Amino acid sequence: MGNNKTKKKGMTMRQRKTLEGLMFISPWIIGALLFFVYPILVSLRLSFSDLENVAGLKMSFNGLENYEYLIFTDTNYIANFLSSVKSTCLNTPIILVFSLIIAMLINRDIKGRGFFRTVFFLPVLLGTGYIMQQLLGTGAGDVVTNSVDGIVTGVLLKAVGATFAGYVQTFLSTITVVLWKSGVQIILFLAGLQGIGASLYEAARCDGATEWENFWKITLPIVSPIILLNFVYSMIDQFTDSSNAIISNINHAILDNAQLDIGAAMAWMYFAFTLVVCGIVLLVMRKLTFNIGER
Amino acid sequence: MSKEKNSASKDAGAQAAEIAAAAVRKNTARRLRKKLKPGKILLYVLVGALLCFTAFPMIAMVCRAFMSLEDLFHYPPYIIVHHPTLGNFKDLFTSLSSSEVPFTRYIFNSLWVTIVTVFLSVFICSMGAYGMVKHKPIGAAVIFNIVVAALGFSSHVTKIPNYMVVSGLGLINSYAALIVPSIATAYNFFLVKQFCEQLPDSLLEAARIDGAKELRVFWTIAMPLLKPAWSTLAVFSFVSNWNDSFSPLVYITSDAMKTLPLALQTMAGGAGVVSRSGTTGAATLLTTAPTIIVYTIMRGRVMQTMTYSGIKS
Repeated sequence: MGNNKTKKKGMTMRQRKTLEGLMFISPWIIGALLFFVYPILVSLRLSFSDLENVAGLKMSFNGLENYEYLIFTDTNYIANFLSSVKSTCLNTPIILVFSLIIAMLINRDIKGRGFFRTVFFLPVLLGTGYIMQQLLGTGAGDVVTNSVDGIVTGVLLKAVGATFAGYVQTFLSTITVVLWKSGVQIILFLAGLQGIGASLYEAARCDGATEWENFWKITLPIVSPIILLNFVYSMIDQFTDSSNAIISNINHAILDNAQLDIGAAMAWMYFAFTLVVCGIVLLVMRKLTFNIGER
Repeated sequence: MSKEKNSASKDAGAQAAEIAAAAVRKNTARRLRKKLKPGKILLYVLVGALLCFTAFPMIAMVCRAFMSLEDLFHYPPYIIVHHPTLGNFKDLFTSLSSSEVPFTRYIFNSLWVTIVTVFLSVFICSMGAYGMVKHKPIGAAVIFNIVVAALGFSSHVTKIPNYMVVSGLGLINSYAALIVPSIATAYNFFLVKQFCEQLPDSLLEAARIDGAKELRVFWTIAMPLLKPAWSTLAVFSFVSNWNDSFSPLVYITSDAMKTLPLALQTMAGGAGVVSRSGTTGAATLLTTAPTIIVYTIMRGRVMQTMTYSGIKS
């Protein structure tokens, strides 16, 4: 350090700034490298190796064998992979639509807006707990489905018949799970909506636009960058959700069977796929979003 | 403060315009209110219905904690408690006090680990974010981008290599094993970084000209201005560390070092065991209570930051 101090006078402004910046950032970088980047790199190496001994993480390079095993021999992996992708593709648009609708509803001139915001955001905080996830997940003690079951079988079945009751049941149990996944998205949409000046709507109204037209011509284009943000956020959230078939598959391989190499290969294949999908979405959506600054 | 003064003098005209606009807005709002009476009712009904769906699991959770066995086994299942009882809490505490380690020990473990983690995380992440945004050291941006991209990676895969690192440092079975790995979190860093970009450079520069050293500029000027960001970080960090039952499961072997969620989870028999689901409910209620308390205290700031960081990114 003493050396640095004597040097300091001879350094350019830029060099000194870099040095100071590094001083500030280095604790974080050390932590991130040690507990985040390094483990990820180890798992990458694991995915291309054969684990000989779990205790010391002894491994030998075996090329693409793990991946080949997963694709051609393992009967579960592809099925789980596809079911995860399917649930993500289904849930992401639903989450987006619901959170936008809720944000627009709360953004109206309505009493108790703060209360509504809090309740819709609370799941973000509660959903991370283990026990809460068990309650929400598809376990045996699934409160949501059980109680929804109760209502449906009790009341609706008698009233409207089995097929329709079935639809209602799936809808109701999906809606709660979707709402529990859209806390962050609602807040982001709300922020976007509040950024739209009332004068725009006023002008549109003077020109005789209806609410419906306002939504398509003003609201939607202006919040489109936030739609993109939320799209990517929800997609990653869905992909990495712990109730996902593939994630539980990975957990099972790693924690129950101690197949670290196979588990790592599973995760990396899945992660690469996620990255590619997100990249494509970003590229496509970026063309479609509307930026006030550019035009 | 000087920023406020500046903008005040500059935008006096703009302010007047804003006031006028606000008046117009109020007027139109009033007019709308008169026009859309039935629409208004529909709006409340709709929001109310969605609210019910969101609140539903929470209500179910609270009720479950107070359900007697009779209610729990009823078919079709009850959502609302019919025969309220405190038996579940009694059961929970009986099974807790029958273990060798006193219950208060778990509470202390959890509190200590969570609080230390939150403090260190706030400090290190804010410092890092400040350094990266305001000093722009070469190469830091690259590392940051890698870390952000890796956020989508399944965390369970890295748990074993993580375990190797922790055991390599000789931390197994210590508080440090629960604290150190969760300090430098990418998500927290990201949150503060978004906020740091709004810090006015002129303010920092002024402090430097007045002779303040870099650390002092950070501590007395940047930190107070970043308060909304790091209080949000504190809330999130608190929640995730308080609820984390996985790390203690991996890093802790002795009973005396277990944290509250892990202890409750093992004692309640886990979710899905119907006969004990009342006890699980009581355990859940107890563990979520601090989360909700912390959130209610910090609510305003959390909303502000979430709104802000989202828009900027």
